[in-house]
This record gives sequence, C-alpha cells and structure tokens, in this order.
Amino acid sequence: MIEQVPAVITAEKLRKEFGRVVALRGVSFQVPASTFFTIFGRNGAGKSTLLSIISGMAAASSGVIRVFGEDPAARTQRHRLSVISHESFLYDNLTALENLEFYGKLYSVQDLKERTHHVLRQVGLHHRRFDLVRTFSRGMLQRLTIARAILHNPDLFLLDEPFTGLDQHATEMLIGLLETLKAQGKTILLTTHDLHIGLRLSDQYMILERQQVVETGSASGLTEDALREKYFSLISSGEAGQ
Amino acid sequence: MSVIWAIIRKDFQMEFRTKDSVTAMWIFSLLIFVIFNFTFEVSRLLMLQISPGLLWVAFIFSGMLGLNRSFQVEKENGNLRSLALTPADPGLIYFGKFFSTTLFTLIFEALIFPLFIIFYDIHLSLLTLWIIPIAILGTIGFTSLGTILSAVAIHTKQQQILLSLLLWPMITPIIIWSVKTTGDVLAGDLSTAFQPVIIRMIVFDVIFTTISYLLFEYVVQE
Amino acid sequence: MTKKNSSLSFYIMAGLLLVLVPISLYLVFNWVPPIKASNPTEQTAQRIFYYHVASAWNGFFAFFVVFLASIMYLWKKERKWENIAVASAEVGTLFMTIVLITGPIWAKPTWGIWWTWDARLTSSLVLWLIYVAYLFLRRYLPDGTRRANLSAVVGIIGFVDVPLVWYSIRWWETQHPSAVLAGGKKGSLAPEMLFTLLFCVGVFTILYFLLMQRRIEIAKLEDSINKQYKEWETLS
Repeated sequence: MIEQVPAVITAEKLRKEFGRVVALRGVSFQVPASTFFTIFGRNGAGKSTLLSIISGMAAASSGVIRVFGEDPAARTQRHRLSVISHESFLYDNLTALENLEFYGKLYSVQDLKERTHHVLRQVGLHHRRFDLVRTFSRGMLQRLTIARAILHNPDLFLLDEPFTGLDQHATEMLIGLLETLKAQGKTILLTTHDLHIGLRLSDQYMILERQQVVETGSASGLTEDALREKYFSLISSGEAGQ
Repeated sequence: MSVIWAIIRKDFQMEFRTKDSVTAMWIFSLLIFVIFNFTFEVSRLLMLQISPGLLWVAFIFSGMLGLNRSFQVEKENGNLRSLALTPADPGLIYFGKFFSTTLFTLIFEALIFPLFIIFYDIHLSLLTLWIIPIAILGTIGFTSLGTILSAVAIHTKQQQILLSLLLWPMITPIIIWSVKTTGDVLAGDLSTAFQPVIIRMIVFDVIFTTISYLLFEYVVQE
Repeated sequence: MTKKNSSLSFYIMAGLLLVLVPISLYLVFNWVPPIKASNPTEQTAQRIFYYHVASAWNGFFAFFVVFLASIMYLWKKERKWENIAVASAEVGTLFMTIVLITGPIWAKPTWGIWWTWDARLTSSLVLWLIYVAYLFLRRYLPDGTRRANLSAVVGIIGFVDVPLVWYSIRWWETQHPSAVLAGGKKGSLAPEMLFTLLFCVGVFTILYFLLMQRRIEIAKLEDSINKQYKEWETLS
C-alpha cells in the first residue's frame, strides 16, 4: 500500500499570498518515494509557485512543507533534488564536459571526473564532450540537460513544464529519459498541462485549479478520455484558459 | 571556496572562448580616447587636468560592458536560477561572480592603460605604480555594487538601462575618489589628501562587498 | 489599523495642516525679518529657504524610512512593509524634487546662476537619481515577492550609499576651486529665522505623514479590491 512507503514530499495546507496575489489556497498532498507524480493545471493554477516552494526558492505564507522530512528553505536537502525546466540551465559557450564539471563542483560531487564521463555515456554524448553546447542540436541539448540533472545522483526530480517548446522528437526523447529515471526508482514530480504525456508517465496525479487541489488519484487504469473528461469538468466552470 | 573558484574558472573559460568581444571592448576604449580628443579641444596643460577623469570614463564604460556580459550568460538559459538551486551558499555565488568580473575588468584596464599613456603623453615614474592599487580599489567599489545590481536588473527586460540607472548614482563616491587619487599620481605629486582618500576607498569597498554578500540571497529568491 | 482609526488620523493631520500651513506662510513671508542683502530680489528669494530645507529634511527622513521598512520586509516578508517602503520612496522623491526645483529658484537671484555643482544641490540630485532608479526598478517588475525582495535590496544599498555620497561630494567641493561661491555661506540664523525654519520643518513632517498614510491606504485598497475580485472569480 501507498501509506507504507515514506513520503518524499509532504505538503499540508500550503498557502501563498502576497498583497493582491493569491498563488496557493491551502494545498495538501503527499508524494511517496519512487512515485511518478503529475500535477495537472492551467497556467496560473499555482503549479510553478508550488514547485518554487518545494525546491526551497520561495517560502509559503502558511502551512507546512517537508521534503525528505526537512524544510526545503533550509537548503539541507538540496543535493538530493534536481530541477528540470524548459530552460536548459546550461552555458552555451562551455563544452558539455565543462558544463558538467562546473555544476559538479557546485554540488560537491564525489569522484567528479568518473561521474561526468559516466553520465555522458549514459545519455550518449560522450563522443561530443569537447564540443560547445551552442553547436548542439535540440535533442542533444535535451540529453545534456538530463545529464546535468542526474549528475549529483539526486533522489527527487522536479520537472517544471519541461515539454514547453519541444518538438515531437525531443518530447519522445525526454519521455524515454524520464522512463529510465522512473525505472531506477527515482521520485519524480512533473507539472504540465499536457494530459496525454502526463498520464502516460504517472503513477499518481493531482489537478490544481484556481490555486486549489480539485482532484487527486491513481493513474493506473485511468484512460486518457476519462481523465480528459474529468479535467475539463473540473476546470470548465469558468472561462477556460488565461 | 571551491564554489568561488568554480565560478571564476567557468567565467574565464567562456571569456577566452569569445576573445572577439575582448577585442571589441579594447577598440571601444580606444574610441573613447579618440572621440574625447575631438570633443574637448583643449591645451596640453588642461588635457593633463582632465585626463584622470577620461581614464576612469574608459574604465567604467568597459566595466559596464563587462558586467552586462557577465550576467547575460547567467540569464540566457535560466542559469542564475539553477545556481540558486544548488546547495551552494548564495553569498559564495555572489563572491564568485564578483571576483570574476573584478578580475576581468582589471585585466581589461591593464590593456587600456598603455593606450592612455601613449595618447596623453603621460610621464612615467616610480610613483605611477600607485595607479595599480587605485585601479584595484576603484574597480572593486564599482564591481561590488555592479555585481549585485546586475543580479537585480537581470530579472527585468530592461536589464542594461536599469543597471545604468541603479549603478551610476551609487558609485559617485568611489568615482570621485578614484579620479582624484589618479590625478595626484599622474601629476607626480601626492597631495596631503591622498592617503585619507585611499582609506575611504577601502572603507567603501568593504561596506559594499559585505552588504552585497549578505543581501545576495534575497536577490535570487523567488 | 481599522478603517475608522486610519480615517481619524487622516482628519487630525489634515485639520492640523489646514491651520498650520497658512501660519507657516505668514511666518515665512511677513513675520520673519528679511536678510541683509544687496538687492530686494535676493531678499525675497531667500524666503524659499524655509520650504527648501523643510523638503530636504523630509526627503532624507523618507529615505531613512525606506531603509528601515526594507530591512523589516526582508526580515518579516510582510506586504505591509513593502507598502511602507514604496510609499516612502515615492513621497521622498516628491520632496527631493521640490528641493531640486526650489534650489535653482533661489540660486538664480542669489548667485546669478540656476545650477551650481554645490555639495548640497549635487548630493540632492544624486539621491534623487538613486530613488528614481528604485521606482523604475519597481515599474519594470510585476507585482509579487520577487519585486518586493529586489526593491528592498536596492532600498537598503541605496540608503547606505547616502552618507557616502554626501560626504564624498562635500569633500570634492573643497578640492574644486570653481565651486566656492561668495555669499553662499550662511551665518548663524537669527532667532526668528530659526523658529520659522523649525516650524516649517514640523509642518512638512506632518505633510509627509499625511501623504504616507494616504499612499499606504491606496495600496491596501488596491490589494483588497484585487483580492476580492480573485475570490469572486474563484466562486463563480
């Protein structure tokens, strides 16, 4: 049962408001270890704010957030998590190897040399390690982004709309890489508005609408049509999209 | 410490890869000297009086270019955010960026200075060596504030104009002192005010590197 | 603060100003004896000094409030402190603008020039530029904690810079022969002049607090209207 697995992320009644902006209105959920957890929601539903709080970049106004049992704002568990967004976080004028070496030092990765070569082989970029990132194709860039993210061997991945701006080929490649991570037993939290991809990967899902959780559930046995119907019935009470 | 070194190393690796921009900046300061020569048609004696200011205008302009470039690379692919997401102390990230821009600006100033000597017929003596600590203190004052304010401005679309708006008025003191002490050195005669001003420059540098170090955390927060 | 309390403090301050501003005008233009000057224009122009100094004092005070509120914001992360900081920056910039306008009006008949790179005037200009940059920064960013953080950082650094700017420009002036102007130095003030000056400073300080109170109220109203709109949107 899910309850027996210790939760990697625990959020209780998270609220984030500042002046006129209300970004979260009491969001509670748990992400158990080794789970692929997807948060669906439109732009402005509160997904990015939630990820900022989980990664320790922003503080909640009230409520409790624990990542690996600690407050993420304390930055003690930073080496155990990795953020992947639609931005690559890479330096265009560094080579693939230099990029990894740089981030490796910031994460104090042990045996950095071996580790960089290992992850470069893993993503199939070892032969291009001395090439500048700006010469890379979109797909190679995507793989190097993943290489950077797995370099310090984190246990938790936070994916902030990673499919934004990707073409079909790059999307498939990223899905493949995420499936590998999932198979390795990593905990993955994905935010997306793409129901198709989200459902394909997830074990569990949650729907955020107007800064609140409107639905949580298990993704197994759920068809895309059923999810789509559910999703639009939950969010269609107002005008769709923003 | 390894965080600071990693950032300096990374910035220099990138700088050396794009040598063309270093050349462009050097040509740019050459242009400043040329243009100034024609905008101020003055006697040799008067030129000697305004030349310290001229030198610092060239320093500051190229320093501004350096700052903008140094932070452009952190903006391009969301890198400042990714730096903030690492376990590294934000204060150390500040020092990394601060040292790399300072070193780069100083190297650059060393390239400008010979041009200045040639164009403005500066008489060299042992005293001229004082220009080194003055350049270092003045540049630190400029880059300590410039680094944190660049990190502030990077979050807006009008990054470059905003950096100028924020930075220029705030560096007034260090510019005044740098120009004055440089003037003393170039005139070959250190005035009684020389030493106290050097101390003031040190104080300025210490104040703003410390404050920036403490506040940098809030600049990268979301 | 409840609505009743805030409007009460507004009426008190507005009532005080209604009485005190005419008195200050009387003091400045009728009661205080004219200075000894060679021509009558200069004598009249000198009277601007009382409002000029009162504005300058409030400008500095406002920037000090920006500094304190910015520190409080970074500590507490409460909207309240951001609202106070920005209100004070706006009101302070207004007072500094008055300083920069009244300065040249006085300088022209007295020194024969609109602008001189005098330490007081130049420092005021540099401070004005710092806080204008602060307001520009806010203009370029969307509302939220990021804007609050960044403006607090600039509010703190900017104020730490204030004494250094002031001190360095004064020192620069002493090094700079052309800036020394005859007639620019004021002797000790006559008792009537001192009283008028202090009176004007007091009146302007009340004005500062009145403007602050109004500006903060507006910010609060904006927040609550937007919040209610959002709530309504959620319910519908």
